[in-house]
Amino acid sequence: MCPQTSGTSGTKSQADLIYAEQLRAKRRFAIGVAISWIVMLMLLVFLFSSTNIALGSFTLKTIHIDKAFIQENIAFIASGVGVTIGISALSILLATILALLAALGRLSKFPPIYALCTFYVSLIRGTPLYLQIFFFFLALPQIGIILPGFWAGVLALSLNYGAYMSEIFRAGLSSVSKGQREAALAIGMTPGQTMRRIVIPQALRFAIPPTGNEFIAMLKDSALVSATGFVHELMWRATRVGRAQFHNLEALIVAAVFYWIMTLIFSALQSRLETRMARGER
Amino acid sequence: MAPIIKTTDLDKYFGRLYVLKNVSLEVTPKEVICLIGRSGSGKSTLLRCINFLEEPSDGMIEVDGLQIHPGIKGKQRRQIIHDIRLRTGMVFQEFNLFPHLTVVENVMEGPVTVKGMGKAQAIKIAEMNLERVGMSDKRDEYPNRLSGGQKQRVAIARALAMEPKVMLFDEPTSALDPELIGEVLMVMKKLAEEGTTMLVVTHEIGFARDVADRVIVLADGEFIEEGTPSQLFGNPKDKRTQALLERYREGQSSQEK
Repeated sequence: MCPQTSGTSGTKSQADLIYAEQLRAKRRFAIGVAISWIVMLMLLVFLFSSTNIALGSFTLKTIHIDKAFIQENIAFIASGVGVTIGISALSILLATILALLAALGRLSKFPPIYALCTFYVSLIRGTPLYLQIFFFFLALPQIGIILPGFWAGVLALSLNYGAYMSEIFRAGLSSVSKGQREAALAIGMTPGQTMRRIVIPQALRFAIPPTGNEFIAMLKDSALVSATGFVHELMWRATRVGRAQFHNLEALIVAAVFYWIMTLIFSALQSRLETRMARGER
Repeated sequence: MAPIIKTTDLDKYFGRLYVLKNVSLEVTPKEVICLIGRSGSGKSTLLRCINFLEEPSDGMIEVDGLQIHPGIKGKQRRQIIHDIRLRTGMVFQEFNLFPHLTVVENVMEGPVTVKGMGKAQAIKIAEMNLERVGMSDKRDEYPNRLSGGQKQRVAIARALAMEPKVMLFDEPTSALDPELIGEVLMVMKKLAEEGTTMLVVTHEIGFARDVADRVIVLADGEFIEEGTPSQLFGNPKDKRTQALLERYREGQSSQEK
């Protein structure tokens, strides 16, 4: 006598119907959102379209931007995209290594190692990124270490993001259950093999999607490196031509569009990566 | 015959909690022993001490001639523990399959990483052991696509692939839905028939009755009674054994209702 087996076929088709209805509602909502986005985008473009619309005695003026200036300078600004991506990619790579080391160090039972990791994270998180960039670029030469702007920027961004990302990796490591370690030890793996083959791959899989988010954040924070004045990335180029010809509005809009497009592209790539990483998940 | 596992006066404390009290156990080759007892009786701890997932507090353990006791320390100790783990296969209540590896990769992992075996040979061994547990058709699936019973069968294959001298089962069916228990017990029964030495912590009294050569009852960290299934289930001497068996009978009849 199992009461739960009776009438399952009826309830199942009912459940399917409900599920299909929920799916339809979700799709309707998504279409609504997409249309609204397009309208907002068109409004934004219109706002900067320098058109005048006469409404009776009242004239609606939109913001005037100098298209000739944009045409002349867009190539110059755009050529900073590569540097921006380069700085960000290099920094996220170094930051990932630092974050993993810091997260592993926090598993250490040896107090100085544990302390070193928490000390690093606390020091970096307790000071502004802007200050750190200047520290490596302007303060280090005073003690005889001269770093080119590019490397000062990469170093500052790596150390900074490494500290923040160590939390992600720590969460990743603790997401791997004790049972996983035990299973690995039980088949004869050494603690080192267990870490390398079982724990870290699972922790990384957990950590890669949030690392993608950090990369996207870094694309934008890399703009701070322009403050050194020697790294010709997107922001530096925009402010340079904008200030020189007093067309900051146009120059910054161009840079903003590039940043936004990059963010959109990398977000899309990241969400695809996330889907792929979900493979094999429990 | 020389015992494959021998523990002498094994003690285990968790802080002040005394969970294994002077436990002495001998397992002879090809023997199937079921450890039964209420939860907290120390049966899982005993199993986990044998392959050092728990460090025993005192006493001697011998596996396939490898002796270890608190006097052996440092590098030598680590080496013996490693060698003991190579001789024992363990199956966990929660399966603990590696979720980032496919079924066949799970089974290959030990031979490749621990034994340094070539891929081709490891695949052969993995496929052979998957065949033994009836999981060949799922070789390229990831564990999250498997049912609990299938996961546990893969976990058994993973342990078997290391060709252990003795298999340790830690409540292998306790995390399974009732309808999935049978397939796992069937595989275990088959292993027993093939002559695998098995030490099984379980609440499956039916399995103990059908398959075990010897049943040992634990309570409060001690062996209180042991014997063949017919002796122990037919004529339990200790009051605590009687109470335990009574509880199992009640559990069974309430499931049948």
